[in-house]
Amino acid sequence: MEIVVCVKWRPDTSEADLTIGSGGKDIKKDGLDYDINEWDRFAIEEAVQIKEKMGGKVTVVSVAPEDAEEMLRETLARGADEAFQLWDDAFEGSDGYAVARILANFIKARPYDLILTGTLADDDCGGQVGGMLAALLGIPSSTLVSKIEVRDGKIRFNRELEGGLYEAVDMDLPAVVSVATGLNEPRFVSIRAVRKVASAEIPTVGLEDIGLDEAQVGPSGSRILIENVSMPPEGEGAEIIRGAVEEVAARLAEVLKEKGGIR
Amino acid sequence: MTKNIYVLAEHRKGHLRDITWEAIAAGRDLAAKFGTELACILLGSEVDAMAEKLSRECSKVLVVDDPIFETFNSEAYTKALAAILQGRCPFILLMGNSNSVLDLAPGLSVVLDAALATDCAAFQVLDGRLTALRQMYSYKVNALISFKDAERVCATLRVGAFSYSPAGGPTGTIERLDSPLGHEPLRKRFLNYVEAEKGDIDVAGADIIVSVGRGIGDEPDMELFEMLADAMGGVLACSRPIVDKSLLPKYHQVGTSGVEVKPKVYLALGISGAFQHLGGIKGSPVIIAINKDARAPIFRVAQFGVVADMYQIVPLLTEKIAEIKG
Repeated sequence: MEIVVCVKWRPDTSEADLTIGSGGKDIKKDGLDYDINEWDRFAIEEAVQIKEKMGGKVTVVSVAPEDAEEMLRETLARGADEAFQLWDDAFEGSDGYAVARILANFIKARPYDLILTGTLADDDCGGQVGGMLAALLGIPSSTLVSKIEVRDGKIRFNRELEGGLYEAVDMDLPAVVSVATGLNEPRFVSIRAVRKVASAEIPTVGLEDIGLDEAQVGPSGSRILIENVSMPPEGEGAEIIRGAVEEVAARLAEVLKEKGGIR
Repeated sequence: MTKNIYVLAEHRKGHLRDITWEAIAAGRDLAAKFGTELACILLGSEVDAMAEKLSRECSKVLVVDDPIFETFNSEAYTKALAAILQGRCPFILLMGNSNSVLDLAPGLSVVLDAALATDCAAFQVLDGRLTALRQMYSYKVNALISFKDAERVCATLRVGAFSYSPAGGPTGTIERLDSPLGHEPLRKRFLNYVEAEKGDIDVAGADIIVSVGRGIGDEPDMELFEMLADAMGGVLACSRPIVDKSLLPKYHQVGTSGVEVKPKVYLALGISGAFQHLGGIKGSPVIIAINKDARAPIFRVAQFGVVADMYQIVPLLTEKIAEIKG
């Protein structure tokens, strides 16, 4: 079983205070912590669990700059067998389509049975790359996947619909499967596992290595343009209760009582 | 050349889904701005009644009747939509940003050689150029986007962002198309629906809900939140990250992929307010949010907010409630 996992290196914006950058087309990113996209952590774990059950190899790829090497090294500590960093300065500013094209060109030259990704990345909230990658490779795909079973050249799983409803689906391999968060519990990484991969080689693969030219990547290979970004007004709608903690708690209790929130 | 504007009708278990009407509202607005008419594409099995219903809201309904379309199979949908739209350029195809369409839109856009914008909350047409508003960075930043080549555009629409009012105009035409699907077997197959697991508490029917999210920390003191819910006489619910971490079972999860709730009071603790979560609480008259991030989107839908550390405020609040109750 040849499993390829695509992961994204992105700024963690979930709890961070964000400001708009000087060009007005992106947020300021220098002060933000970067890490693996939350959804992709589950994809790595799922790949390693499938390998542990069925044998085979897990290869991790990421379209990400130099700094992302630590993320790729951590995936090796989590049980992946090899990792590749796809980067070239020309890749900067690629949209979902351009990223999918870079991944497809790298992956198509290698053996693969199953390609795993997260369903969504929380930086651009696009949810596009998995399905685009599958279409570029000419193979089927699905998103929001959990409860995976691989058997006889097929993959069976549940995918999430709305309102707690799921659908059971069966798909031929090779395929791209974009996982839902929570489908497994990503393992803790031991210090021993981290030491073991400390000197593992993580090759960088550039533009020419994957047979693309500059017009096909970055902003020129993208189909979506960002005109500008802006912060929605703070606390629009909500009456913010301020003051010392004691006072705030007392006022909040009154509001709850008044609105029927205490029985 | 006139722009062709299409809306994909979405149905499940024999019923049109609400997002279809929202997409029609967005499509009608765009059609007016481009000075053209709106057509709806319905892929289904024995869907005469649905086609009839749709024809009352759109100038034209294109119908493909094939048993394979009884359920939403993204592979079959891709083949059919590609065949239908290939010769109808320039086009804008609008679809709901539903979990089904999440499987369809990216691959379809590649097959159609179209640009794709997902989860759009509004559209504008400036000098004949289409722009869309969407959100990025944990849904905390608004982004205005445009399309490099506007000849072929696919866009998915944020659920609940476009409000629908029936047009009540003259009935549109219904055009039946032969199924473009050949006999080639599909590589992806729907097997069956799996219903939600039922739990020991009824979050959907609760009047008072205390709901916790990622902001309660990596190793949260769940007892603290249970005590608050008990003091209020409500139930404890949560957003997705709490279920992902196995801190509460799935039937406590509020949101579009969990339970939709309509309590009198919804107290959101450490919930940032991603749209998937907000989709589950839009029926709550009073939302009160406590979050340490003043920019959290939850404050935009809440009536009352507190920007504070959960672990300072919650024990005090529980005490104050106990005092009130005597």
